[in-house]
Amino acid sequence: MSNSTILLVEDNRDDIELAMYALRKNKIPNDIVVARDGVEALDFLFATGVHEGRSEERKPALILLDLNIPRLNGLEVLRRMRDAPETRRIPVVILTTSDDENDIIKGYDFGVNSYIRKPVELSEFTKIINQLGLYWLVLNQSSPR
Amino acid sequence: MRIINAAAFLRAKIGYSLKRAFLGESVGLRLIKFIILFSSVVTLFFTSLQLYWDYRRDVSLIEKRMAEIEQSYLGSLAGSLWQMDLPQVRLQIEGILRLPDIQSVEVAVLDVGPAVEKHSGKNDVVTVGVSVSSPDIMKKYPIIYNFHGKDKVLGVVAIQASFDAIYQRLQDKVLEILITQGMKTFIVSLFTLFIFSVLVTRHLRTIAEFANQFNLEQPSPPLRLARASIKRGRSGQAAPRDELDQVVSAFNNLCGGLEQTYNQLRSVNAELKADNEARRRAEEEIKRLNIELSGMNSQLEVQVRRRTHALEVSNRELNAFSYSVSHDLRAPLRRIDGFGQILLEDCAHLLGVDGQRYVERIRNGVREMNEMVDSFLKLSRCASIELVIESHNLSDMASDIFSRLREKDPDRQVQITIQPDLVALVDRRMMRSALENLLENAWKYTRHTLSPVISIGSCVKEGKTIYYVRDNGAGFDMAYAERLFSPFYRLHSAEEFEGSGIGLATVQRIIVRHGGAIWVDASMNNGATFFFTLQQN
Repeated sequence: MSNSTILLVEDNRDDIELAMYALRKNKIPNDIVVARDGVEALDFLFATGVHEGRSEERKPALILLDLNIPRLNGLEVLRRMRDAPETRRIPVVILTTSDDENDIIKGYDFGVNSYIRKPVELSEFTKIINQLGLYWLVLNQSSPR
Repeated sequence: MRIINAAAFLRAKIGYSLKRAFLGESVGLRLIKFIILFSSVVTLFFTSLQLYWDYRRDVSLIEKRMAEIEQSYLGSLAGSLWQMDLPQVRLQIEGILRLPDIQSVEVAVLDVGPAVEKHSGKNDVVTVGVSVSSPDIMKKYPIIYNFHGKDKVLGVVAIQASFDAIYQRLQDKVLEILITQGMKTFIVSLFTLFIFSVLVTRHLRTIAEFANQFNLEQPSPPLRLARASIKRGRSGQAAPRDELDQVVSAFNNLCGGLEQTYNQLRSVNAELKADNEARRRAEEEIKRLNIELSGMNSQLEVQVRRRTHALEVSNRELNAFSYSVSHDLRAPLRRIDGFGQILLEDCAHLLGVDGQRYVERIRNGVREMNEMVDSFLKLSRCASIELVIESHNLSDMASDIFSRLREKDPDRQVQITIQPDLVALVDRRMMRSALENLLENAWKYTRHTLSPVISIGSCVKEGKTIYYVRDNGAGFDMAYAERLFSPFYRLHSAEEFEGSGIGLATVQRIIVRHGGAIWVDASMNNGATFFFTLQQN
């Protein structure tokens, strides 16, 4: 499990740092890759563009996806990866400050596995990260590669 | 000149009237008929009367004559018979016969004087004239001779008289009377006809012609009959008015009245025409205005469309704004809180006690602001979310909310009364949100009440269902009630009762979007009752 990658799609540096803090706090040992916008996220997923030549082993086991990101928003990233056979079954958790109903509905329509609203309190967020790691990386049986 | 003209006129008129009188039925002719008829009857009657009188007089004349014969002839007849002088007797009775009307005289000898041979002339009858068996009148007288103071009947004289002469006379008289009376009647009739024509008929015709030619469009001068000069000229003042004058004056009055009425009618007609014209103009104006109005309407429609579009745009902007608030405003809050927590956890030793307290204060502020953002989002969503109106049981909704509140606050002992089956046509989520706000408020503001009671129910007033949520909690001064539903308006300090001040604004929006109204009745420390209505259908 330790070698499986978590792709964190997040554009804000502070948010990235807080996420990393929470992951660290929960002692999640996985390889964390951060994509700063939608295009970069797709590049990493499809091993194209700046991530051309990404090894097959680093293909993410879980994607933590923010919605409000530059260039290509989170929902669009989700739609495109769900369209592609090689990324269709990767678990995606939307982690966002938005609780807009349209976002939630579209998220599920495009095949998201879970929709989590980031709580304002960091301790809460840390707990959630812990539960997510436990659930998706340990409890949940992923689709075979 | 005038007189000649008048005469010529009269001649012509009379000729005409006579012609008319004989050719056709006219008043004159009928008048003549009646005059002739009546005159004939009267003439006949009086003629008969006169003839009867004449007859009676003649008859009595004959009788008188016979009486005279008795007195003047019988003496000498007696003398002649005494001497039996028959030729003398004959002479004498022939003298009688010569009297008028005497038809025959007959002397029958009964006796004679002593000087004469007895029986010699006895039973002799001397007759003169023509004796008939049934005479008109016959008188018999005894012939008496006084001889030495002794009356002796010598014979009887029978005198017959005839009425033939009387009849002849009467017949002649009848003829004469009839001819004269007939002539008179005829002349009088003609004269009457003429007079009637002059006095009446021609005027009647004038009136008729006047009436025939009477034209209301061009009223002629009033009717005047050509007759006045004889009658009125004589005396200085006006002669008394006769029937024709009255007819003419009545006729002229009638014409005047007609003219007046006609003129009134014309003026009314003209008014009507003017009215019609005005109406037509008004209709045109209305048409024009309608066209203008429809133009304005279409303009208005365009404007409404434009406004609606603008509204939709601004709505979209508002939604975008809500989104950005939910995301962009919350995100930095998260960061502040997050790093604050990291500060407290990882750098507490650097901060010291005061520093830690300050960081806590910062985090409290963040929490508060976060709650406000949440409420604000809820409020703005109330306005934009599309309603799905269905029948829902508000009682079930309320009991569900209360059980959740009890779970959250298990130590509270609150008496709750819910009127069963409060069913209304509402949007489920919105109504639930409104009820949540109201019930949470009731729950919250009864926190310091000794035996808290919350009830929810409905009543019907003027055909409208009014729902209410009542509590016996803190209540408030009604002086502030007006602003209660404004966003961010609070009546209690955060220390007393927490809250963002957006709940009731949200409730009001939801109720208004359901076509209802909300109001409140409360008093300080004596609870509050929120009333609301919903659109019935």
